[in-house]
Amino acid sequence: MAPIIKVENLHKHFKVARHRRGFLGAFRGLVSREYETVRAVDGISFEIGRGELVGYIGPNGAGKSTTIKILAGLLVPTGGTVIVNGRVPWRERKSHVATIGAVFGQRTTLWWDLPVIESLELLQYVYDVPPERFRRNLAEFREMLELDQFLETPVRSLSLGQRMRADLCAAMLHDPMLLFLDEPTIGLDVVAKERIRQFIRRINRERGTTIILTTHDLSDVEKLCERVMIIDHGRLLFDGELSELRNRFGGEREMVVYFDQEYDEVAVDGAEVVSRNGKRVTYRFDGHEITASELIGRISARHRIRDLSVREADIEDLVRKIYEGRLLEAPDAG
Amino acid sequence: MSRFARRIRLFVELSRVSFRRQLAYRTANLAGLATNTFFGLLRAAVMVALYGARQEVVGMSVRDAITYTGITQAVIAYLSVFGWTELMDTVYTGDISSDLLKPMDYFTFWMARDLGRALASMLMRGLTVMLIYALVFDITVPVGAWQWAALLASLLMGWLVSFSWRFLVNLAAFWTPNALGISRLIFATSWLMSGFMMPLRFFPDWFVGICYLTPFPAMINTVVEVYVGVLDAQGVITALAAQAMWAAGLIWVSQVVLRAGIRKLVIQGG
Repeated sequence: MAPIIKVENLHKHFKVARHRRGFLGAFRGLVSREYETVRAVDGISFEIGRGELVGYIGPNGAGKSTTIKILAGLLVPTGGTVIVNGRVPWRERKSHVATIGAVFGQRTTLWWDLPVIESLELLQYVYDVPPERFRRNLAEFREMLELDQFLETPVRSLSLGQRMRADLCAAMLHDPMLLFLDEPTIGLDVVAKERIRQFIRRINRERGTTIILTTHDLSDVEKLCERVMIIDHGRLLFDGELSELRNRFGGEREMVVYFDQEYDEVAVDGAEVVSRNGKRVTYRFDGHEITASELIGRISARHRIRDLSVREADIEDLVRKIYEGRLLEAPDAG
Repeated sequence: MSRFARRIRLFVELSRVSFRRQLAYRTANLAGLATNTFFGLLRAAVMVALYGARQEVVGMSVRDAITYTGITQAVIAYLSVFGWTELMDTVYTGDISSDLLKPMDYFTFWMARDLGRALASMLMRGLTVMLIYALVFDITVPVGAWQWAALLASLLMGWLVSFSWRFLVNLAAFWTPNALGISRLIFATSWLMSGFMMPLRFFPDWFVGICYLTPFPAMINTVVEVYVGVLDAQGVITALAAQAMWAAGLIWVSQVVLRAGIRKLVIQGG
């Protein structure tokens, strides 16, 4: 089956005015401006099949949102080709956006000062949804997302988690075949996050909606996605299965140990001392080689531990590891 | 429902929502009404003083001149005379992405919303200002169905010209991060050239000639002239036709500029 998204050698460059420093600089800036080109997306290619749920992750400013905006038809790229569902998104914006849904976690697509239900009902006309289908979808999402308690509340008075649920509903009312979720769990507590993840999983399984999820919360990806794409500095660093990613790079963890007293020698086999600050020592270890409890055993055999905590790798760690791995594998690449 | 009927339905729904939203700002509406009325009465007093003993100036009686101040105060909110930057703001906050994500024509989308806002403003502020004027002064009132119809048409056309012009000015935000400054200058220019500050008839011919090369008189001056009845039947038809031409021209230009602007657009924020 043809992929729903096909991206080849995508580029998006922004021109940013460079500000000169000081008074004279500001004056010269009025006369002649210098521009700096920022390559937000710098040659990306990938394909996504129908029904996939893909995690698209990377550090802040990596180019995630820019890619999504191009795929959604909001931005015109500097170069490259994009076909989404047989269309070039920015060339046929109206027919394109009718078939997609999007939630940008940082902002709402609902009308700010209208009650939620009125915003949702307006969407029936915006997307031209047949009344019968609209009623069915609305009833289903109201139940799945538990919207009833705040349907009459104006959007501006909703909590972040409520707003996100209302936005998810708004994005799905017209049965889009493709859904873009940009940081849908940002700033939410654990319970709210879990509810949103359940919803994402369900619509992917039950409705077969293709979903692209950008996030910088690795646990979103681990709980939802089989396939992961990692982007940094506008380039794709990794595109493959989550399990492969975990095997190759994800094993690294850190353990912070607070000792009873300051010891001269704290090194143990199987872990590396990353930093040391009095009684507090940070170890880094590979989860494939040694388990956390084994490591605790080895340390406590020699020293008295007062307290400890284990930290999972985050996206920044992952990206660093990929770079390190690349350097080892292919020193002459790039 | 046909495709066209559904589009009309969407347009009406968007206008309705915007209308209700505008009505909901009760305090702002009242404050605006008070300001419009106060300055209107002040301007009327100045007019009376300027006329002095004269009964008529270039076809306008004192009564017409007083009525003129009422009309111009009444359309301030309706035509967003003092400036309109709603669209520009969505570009700078990045909220424009929500609007572009909807399968609607971008121009018609804003037009529907502005129509709702304009009608609510006309109701809350325009008509009320005129009613207060009618209580305080002896004002001119259009006579006969024909003049009322012409006035309605002229008001609607004035809004259409004003809206497409404001839309166009706001599109500057697609290119520059400082479109606010540009728009301020342009709105200030329009106060003079639209006949908002003084009826254009009071100015020398060469200046009026220049004004009529811009769309500004089609927004306010035409409405005033139709209302007070200084034009003959032929003049009214010509004036309405000129408004319609400006509206059509501006709508066309804004489509072209919008298409170019979308390619330039930089959406702010994550």
